[in-house]
Amino acid sequence: MIKVQTEDVDIGALTAAAKVPGTGAVVLFDGVVRDDDITEMELEAYEDVAVAEMEKIAADATRLHRLLHVDIIHRIGRLSVGENILIILVSAGHRPEAYAGSRYIIEEIKKSVPIWKKELTKNGGRWVPGEHGHGRGKPGSPS
Amino acid sequence: MTAKLRFFAKFRELLGTDIPVPVPEGSTILSLVRDTAWKNKEGYDAIFDDKGNFHEFVIVMRNGKRVEHGDAAAARVADGDEIAVFPPVAGG
Repeated sequence: MIKVQTEDVDIGALTAAAKVPGTGAVVLFDGVVRDDDITEMELEAYEDVAVAEMEKIAADATRLHRLLHVDIIHRIGRLSVGENILIILVSAGHRPEAYAGSRYIIEEIKKSVPIWKKELTKNGGRWVPGEHGHGRGKPGSPS
Repeated sequence: MTAKLRFFAKFRELLGTDIPVPVPEGSTILSLVRDTAWKNKEGYDAIFDDKGNFHEFVIVMRNGKRVEHGDAAAARVADGDEIAVFPPVAGG
């Protein structure tokens, strides 16, 4: 399942579904809203492109790391400290592939999926600077 | 002939999003975005440098596909195109 959504995720149900025949390892990455002296976090996506990009990343990870199953669910909207932002769930025959596949997916998401975060504070808000520009060089000052 | 301009994140806050824009004959992606952003100086400065070129970190897409800055100056906008402009991504 590859989705951008506002709703939270039933991680237990996803984990059960990830245990497809041949599974020897399941790795869950759960990115959560960190308490960086913020009140909430607001997430925004270019949804059609974000889903298409995550589908491509999942397909590449499956091929490169021999994964058996991949779920990527990225939440948008307003989230409180401690809430889930991003769930990546992968299964593979063995732990090296599962760990490597999970790591590959999160790093690629950070490079190319059009989603942005704004940290909301008592004094207003601040956009979290992106790490990647237009495929060359470092970004300037985006926020 | 019209196109849709979509800005995201800080650019959206400054300029709005899902903006239907009439496309004058001969418009390029660069000229259309520049003409639209011109209405808000802070928004314009967030996207363009003092020579009117996209800042290096700005990402431009047409119909969901990336457009290199060098191509945006020559690429003619077609009826129904969706042009997206946004800062570096920060998901995950």
